[in-house]
Amino acid sequence: MPIDYRRFNGPEDSVSYKQYTKNFLKSYEELCNELIDENEHRKDGRALDEARTMYARTNMISQAKGSSYVELKKTKVVCSVFDPREIPNKNEFSPLGQIYCEVKFAPFSCPRKRRALVPDAEEKDLSLSLKKALEPAVCRYAFPNYQIDVFVYILEHDGACLAGAINAAGLALANAAVPMYDTITACSIAVIEDKLYVDPTEEEEYVANMTPAKEGINHGIITVAMLSTLEQVAGFTQLGSMDGTCVINATEILQKECQNIVPIIHQILVKDVIHNIDLSEKLEKEAKLREAALNENMEEWKKLLSAD
Amino acid sequence: MANLLLSPLEKMYILHGVRDDCRSDGRTNIDYRPMELETDVVSHASGSARLRLANTDILVGVKTEIDLPNNDQPGYGKLEFFVDCSANATPEFEGRGGEQLANSISNMMQKAYQSSDAFDLKQLCIFEGKQCWKLYIDILILECGGNLCDAVSLAVKAALYNTRLPSVKTALLDGGNVDLQLSDDPYDNKLLNVDLAPLLVTLCKIGDKFVVDPSAEEENCSVISLIVGATGNKTNYNIDNKKNESCTDSKCTTIVMNGSGSLAPKTLKNAIKQGIEAVQFLDQALGQALLRERRENVTMKKYSYGFLK
Amino acid sequence: MEREKINRTDKKICIPGLRLSKANKDVISGPGTYELQGYIYANLSGILKREEDQKTKITVVSVESLRTPSLLPKTGDIVTAKEDIKSTDKDRIEPYKCFRPGDIILARVLPMTDAHWCLLSTAENELGVVTATAEGSPDGVNMVPVSWSEMQCPKTLVKEPRKVARIIPERLNKKTDDNAEKK
Repeated sequence: MPIDYRRFNGPEDSVSYKQYTKNFLKSYEELCNELIDENEHRKDGRALDEARTMYARTNMISQAKGSSYVELKKTKVVCSVFDPREIPNKNEFSPLGQIYCEVKFAPFSCPRKRRALVPDAEEKDLSLSLKKALEPAVCRYAFPNYQIDVFVYILEHDGACLAGAINAAGLALANAAVPMYDTITACSIAVIEDKLYVDPTEEEEYVANMTPAKEGINHGIITVAMLSTLEQVAGFTQLGSMDGTCVINATEILQKECQNIVPIIHQILVKDVIHNIDLSEKLEKEAKLREAALNENMEEWKKLLSAD
Repeated sequence: MANLLLSPLEKMYILHGVRDDCRSDGRTNIDYRPMELETDVVSHASGSARLRLANTDILVGVKTEIDLPNNDQPGYGKLEFFVDCSANATPEFEGRGGEQLANSISNMMQKAYQSSDAFDLKQLCIFEGKQCWKLYIDILILECGGNLCDAVSLAVKAALYNTRLPSVKTALLDGGNVDLQLSDDPYDNKLLNVDLAPLLVTLCKIGDKFVVDPSAEEENCSVISLIVGATGNKTNYNIDNKKNESCTDSKCTTIVMNGSGSLAPKTLKNAIKQGIEAVQFLDQALGQALLRERRENVTMKKYSYGFLK
Repeated sequence: MEREKINRTDKKICIPGLRLSKANKDVISGPGTYELQGYIYANLSGILKREEDQKTKITVVSVESLRTPSLLPKTGDIVTAKEDIKSTDKDRIEPYKCFRPGDIILARVLPMTDAHWCLLSTAENELGVVTATAEGSPDGVNMVPVSWSEMQCPKTLVKEPRKVARIIPERLNKKTDDNAEKK
């Protein structure tokens, strides 16, 4: 792996202290059983098909064209969108604009290991998935030969990062007044031992990616991004191992979950517009006051001139 | 993919062909182009395969090395994929030109092989927590004629099927270090179990329909494609070829949407089903070809074509 | 269809993907909207506007964003641009008499002839150089326009040719305001 020599990287062979704890040595079954109690409730008290409540806001970063902040309990994501700029190092004309996405984990965001500053494979993969999901949502014909930069920073990672990133990016793009075909929402699901965990936490995702004790048990993660009004799937990623019916069942659940997020996103965007209306009215008022003062001055000068 | 310019009329021709289930090269929407596969083509690799799917040419070599297992997976070996887009395929790949494409393919392969249902990494363990085999799977794209993902996954599975690991004679723990002795005899080796290794199928949406195995021209007409990776079937690789009753269904190991378009949910679900079916069909064909290769190898009847054909 | 209507001084709020109206020959989609399968949808968040043309009776549905939209300049827009003439063009006398590198100019965007380039025009009285620094003068000392085609540096008193923009007086500070009035 490439190392950034401009920074102090610490000893190369450091390991997480967690591997010397009891938790680390737990077997797959133990971990599985821990995730859910006898009443089918998860560790944080949610039912299997219950998503976390999403908190989100826009205008998080004042210097970006548009920005947003999305919080799914302990998953915290910031996204900023910047003005279109010319595509660097490109000569030929591209009739459709490009979207450049970068997803970055904060070094301290993950519970298991420290994230390196150089983007790793997972971050690159998330960036690519985000880009693929956003492309059908943005009217790319509106900025030919230009690219829009979307930066996502994951402050805290507690599962469903890609879904959080897509939701945040959708909000930030709308906030930046980038023309979009539709509002985009995303949700993910983890499959562990044939059970479907909607909106999984990091722990649940970890177990879903583990090798199950028995062969042939469905496990893995699916993330779906939807365009709500147009009822189109904008992004779909599946990982792990599951049979066709399981994939299709999970997709149906995710479709509904994505629809559940839509009102939240709409509400935030409407608030954003109202905020802007208030702001522009205030500015208009101030401008009128200034103009009145200027006109008064003008009258004075005219008098002075005519007196000459 | 490689730069290709099509006029609107050419696109229309392809579109109409797909609509009427008769593509420009005479295939139906679910037909594959003819393939040529040969294993054991590179002498210095532990396993290798060359696959030619119409104009797409893929060469895969597997190199084995010894590595330390990861802390959190002491009983597992390692698998790594590298894709190189040769500038021979198209001048665009010169320098770092093909990097993006190469990364996306190696990423797809890594994801498809991630699950234990797809490839059992335990078989690469030498000494738990101390030493394991690491397989470097180098994929060389010599020519691109569309449908790279499918071709790469087929060639990789064939190369892994062909991979021979030297037998471990002794592995002793000596004061914290592993004392390893491998067999010198080139014929004393063990084969990998890759029956379940996944295959990728690209379903390209042209007009309202999906086609499998798109040519480069067809890829150009499509804004969205779905890549479905699903596991193979054990029965296809049994030498006795008796149809086991425990014929397990293929499992999806990775599904990715590729391209800038979107899909209606219903279309997506149908495409996933279609993809799994295509994988099963493809796996059966690959199984037959690989079994024949192995039989010919054992009986020394195999004629090597190498790169001449 | 969920429609976000909040009556706040009679403004209808739109968000991307909101279906606004049917599209036909009397109702067409304007800026901030797009047309899909016979309907007009919003593609920006902002306020809905319906404008009816008196003569043709065509209603244009558009969405007005309250932010500066993240779009590229359209034909007809007036932009502020930084002068950056390529070194190969420098020996041509014509542009050199009007603009120099580093000038801030006001210009109108012309229709794109070649998709690669954005053509600007300053062929109007109000368009041209707004601020410029004379050669050899320190940064930040801007020249003052003395006529349509000349600017003078207040420090070195050097006169340089420029295509000066006639700026609407109220936007300038008092001093130039006064000058304009005297004329």
